[in-house]
Parts: sequence; structure tokens; C-alpha cells
Amino acid sequence: MQPCSREMQAMNSLLNPTQQIPLQDLQINGNRHHHQQIHVPSSSQFQYPTPTSTTHHDDSFLEQILSSTTSFPWSDETGPPNPEDNNNAGFNYDEMVLASKLRQHQINGGAAGNPFAAMKMMLMMQQQQQQQQMMLAGRPTVASAAAGGGITTNHQGGEGSMQALYNVFGDGSLHGTMQAKSFVGANSATEMTQSQGSGPTAGEAVTAPEKPKQRVRARRGQATDPHSIAERLRRVRIAERMKALQELVPNANKTDKASMLDEIIDYVKFLQLQVKVLSMSRLGGAAAVAPLVSEGGGDCIQTSANGGSHPRNSNGDQTPSANDRLTMTEHQVAKLMEEDMGSAMQYLQEKGLCLMPISLATAISSATSRSRNPMINHENPTNGSHLLIQSSGGDGPSSPSMSVLTVQSATMGNGGLEGGAASVSKP
Amino acid sequence: MNNPHHLNPTSLKSRFTTRFLRALTKIRAQKPISSSSPTEIFRRYRRIKAAADKSMAYSVRSRRIWSRAMLWKLRSRSYRRQDPCSGRRSGKTNQAIMKKSSNENTTTRREDGVGFVEEADELRQLVPGGETMNLCNLLDETAHYIKCLTTQVQVMKKIADFYSF
Repeated sequence: MQPCSREMQAMNSLLNPTQQIPLQDLQINGNRHHHQQIHVPSSSQFQYPTPTSTTHHDDSFLEQILSSTTSFPWSDETGPPNPEDNNNAGFNYDEMVLASKLRQHQINGGAAGNPFAAMKMMLMMQQQQQQQQMMLAGRPTVASAAAGGGITTNHQGGEGSMQALYNVFGDGSLHGTMQAKSFVGANSATEMTQSQGSGPTAGEAVTAPEKPKQRVRARRGQATDPHSIAERLRRVRIAERMKALQELVPNANKTDKASMLDEIIDYVKFLQLQVKVLSMSRLGGAAAVAPLVSEGGGDCIQTSANGGSHPRNSNGDQTPSANDRLTMTEHQVAKLMEEDMGSAMQYLQEKGLCLMPISLATAISSATSRSRNPMINHENPTNGSHLLIQSSGGDGPSSPSMSVLTVQSATMGNGGLEGGAASVSKP
Repeated sequence: MNNPHHLNPTSLKSRFTTRFLRALTKIRAQKPISSSSPTEIFRRYRRIKAAADKSMAYSVRSRRIWSRAMLWKLRSRSYRRQDPCSGRRSGKTNQAIMKKSSNENTTTRREDGVGFVEEADELRQLVPGGETMNLCNLLDETAHYIKCLTTQVQVMKKIADFYSF
């Protein structure tokens, strides 16, 4: 008990004030695989870690672990102490923090573990005060922890670190300089041989859920191939970006990634078309807005108004492509609208098009076809949907601020929408 | 009338707004409002749209792949329109750029471990400069592009509102 309590004190004092210093200190030591015995002052009062050069060989296992700390500055962790380990009954808060941090690292896929987390693991092992069992059971854990912590570099390094761990563990004494070593050393030396023998395999078998393993020994159920690791990383990044996109795009309730991508695509198309429409609305000093006919389905749903006086039919069908033809149509209608709304409506009617409020058009489009990108000509400004480009004052047909969208059936060859539109446009 | 739609002077919205308004006034000064023929209207529309896109791309500077691609596209188009001789020059630089980017990115092009090839391709066509991005960057660029597009639409809406009466 005595050593354990001392170790705990050491751990606490280590954790509380100077959690960074030993880390850096250990990092400086580098990757040294030493199978050194650990100085175990039996009467060790806990000396606060004064990192001296003499104890470098004692720090071996820590060095192994800490060599990988660069990738995981564990100070970044904001983890609240989630004592997932049930053994932390008598533990200090900080130790539990470390335990949680270790678990977080491991859960986060950190092949490079947290050396302090590893130390925490060891500390927890110690806490159980079952030195024998701890040696047997915890050794693999600690070994795996240390291995996982330190073995981002190579397998050999992991082996060496584990050996070092075992050594440290086996010494069973408190060391002044390194807290971790201190509590590691509390274990009896008799376990050393056994511990060295058991090795990684035992650790593999006995590891608690969140063990950091050696690099080649991946977590359960996952491949160790660096390619697959890279793939995993890539997939994670893609998932993050998809989530970010989901927030941007409305109607982002799709859980399926493919449909989410489709939604994104439609939204981008919609936005681009909106820009197009808005830039057209500024022709002629933003006087009138043309009912733009997008080329997607060539649909232009518009409710027919009362006929005008003289329909202009100088439709500029100069360009062969459908897009240009539609654009010419819309230019024509824009021109008409500038002069006489009625004539514009008549012109549209000739083409079999009509104007309708967005709400109605949306309902129709959703009912008839899977038109995913409905944008609708509308005269009614009260529709607050995001399809609305611009709210007009609703003054009437001659309102210059009338904004117009066109229905574009996303399924390009879809004639259903057109059919729907036709049903509306030909009352 | 005061348009209080940019409170932060350094935000994307305000940068885009100032640039776009400047471009608009320039366009308005260039040509009279009499847009008689549809082609004239069309050309003017194109100019306005180009101004909007260019303003947006300039507001983003070159921090994003899509903005760089859009700027490059606009510039090459304007060069080609102005001077057929300079089209050769720009063509050369364009080829160099395209070759370099394609060399860089052919390896990463189809590396779709996730398997969204068709959607990814379509997205690549939509986002400017998207052909030379792998899926990861493509999604990133798409997010930023969507944000900029929404900003653009908002500002243009407000401007149109402002001028509509």
C-alpha cells in the first residue's frame, strides 16, 4: 500500500502542476530502448520530478511512450474526467482525467497514444493493489499502453518499450524523477521475468477496451495496413466535410450520403441559377425582371394572366441550342414586361407557359415529378420559401420588382413536370 | 436609403458588395440602358453575371481553388475577347497551368475509396476548378463555394430590391 500511496501522491503532484514538463523532458530523451533496471529507492519519499540526466535510462519506457507525444499534445484534451475505468474508486480526479484522456486518444484512433495516459493506465493498475494479478493482468495492459503510446515509429521500438515497461514494472519501486516510473516501479521485481515473457500477445489478449496498441497491432476489428489506415483517415475527413456541408444546405435531413450529395448538387445548381436570374434582373436598370426559362427541363410554369394587346413575336431564335432559345424567349418576355405586362403574358401564353405562385408550383412539381430543383416564376411575393428570389411589392402585373424564377426539373429528361405545367398553363 | 447588410467591414459580404457595386456602376456607365435587341440584353446580362462572379472571386482572393479557377477563367475569357493575339499568350499559360494541375491531380482523381463517383463528377462540373480536386478537397471547396454563392445571392437580392422602385 505504501508504495502505491506514494505513487499516487507522485502522480497527483505530477499531474497537477507540471504536467507538461516531464513530458517535454521525456521527449527530449528520445527513443531509447533500454532494458535498464530502475532505481528503486525503497525509502523513496516522493521527490518531485527533477529531471536529471542520471535517470534517463530509467525513463526508457516513458521515452518510448513519449516519443510519440508530438502528435498528441495531450494538453489539448479538454476531456472531463469520465471515469470509464471502474477501478478508479480511490483515484484522484487527475488520474481519472488521464485515464479518460487515454481512452479518448485510443478511441480517437490515436495509434500514438498518450504517454501520460499510459502512465495513467499503469497507475490504475497500481491502484488495484493487486500486484501479482496486476503484474499478470496489468502488465499486458501497460505493455500495450506503452506500446501503443510509443510505437508509432516501429515495431521494434514497441517491443523495446514494452520490455522497458516490464522492467520498470518489475522493479516495483518508486523513482523520484519520473512519477510514472515511480508507480510503475512499485511492482515487485519478481514479476519482471514473467512480464517480459508474456509480452505483446498477452497484452493483446487482456487489453481493456481502449488500449493503445502497437502500430502493427491495430485495434480490434481494424486492419493494420497503412493503406487502410490512410483510407480510414480519408473517410473520416470526408465524413467531417459532409457534415459541414449538411449544415449549409437546407433540407439536409438525408442520412444517406449519396442522397446528401445529390442534395448538395441541386443546391449548388439552384444557387448558380439564382445568381443568373438576379443578374438578369438588373438589365435595364433593374426595371423589370424577365421570366427566365432555364434550360433544364425547359419548363416555365407561369399562370396565364389576361391577354395583352399586341404580342410581340420577334422571338430571337437565332441561336440553335435550346439554352439560347430559351434565353431568347426570356429576353423577349423581359422586354415585353417592361412595356406591358399583359403583352408579356400573352406572349407566354402563346408559348404554352404561364405564371403561378411558388407555393402552387412547388406542390405541383413535388406531386408530379421528382423535380428536385424547382424554381418557379411567381408573381406572389408572399411566398417565403427559399425559392423566392426577390419579394415584390405585389403591386400587380406592372410591378417592376417582380422576380421570377423558372422551374427547372432536375431530371433533365423529365417530361412530367412539363405535363404538370401544361395542365396548369392551359386552364 | 441605407443598406445595413454589411456590418463587418472585412467580411466576405461587405467585400463582395463594394466590389460588385463598383463593377455595376462601371457597367452602367459604359452602355446606355437601351437594350433593344435580345442579343444586346444577353450580352449585358453576361457582363453583369461576369462582374458578379469576378467580384466574388476577387473577394475571396486566391485562397480557394475555386476562386483561382474562376479568376483564371474570367481572365482568359476577357483576354480572348479583347485581343486575339493575346489569346495565344494566355493560351500558353493556360495550357501550362492546366497541364501542371492535371499532372498533379490525375493520381488523386479517381481515388474514390468511398464510391461516389457520379455525384462527385457532377459536383466537379458545377464547382469551378473542380476537375482537379480529389473528393476531400472537393467537398471542402463546395462548402466554401456554397457559402459564397449564398452571400452573392443575398447581396444581389438586396441591391435589386433597392433599385426596384
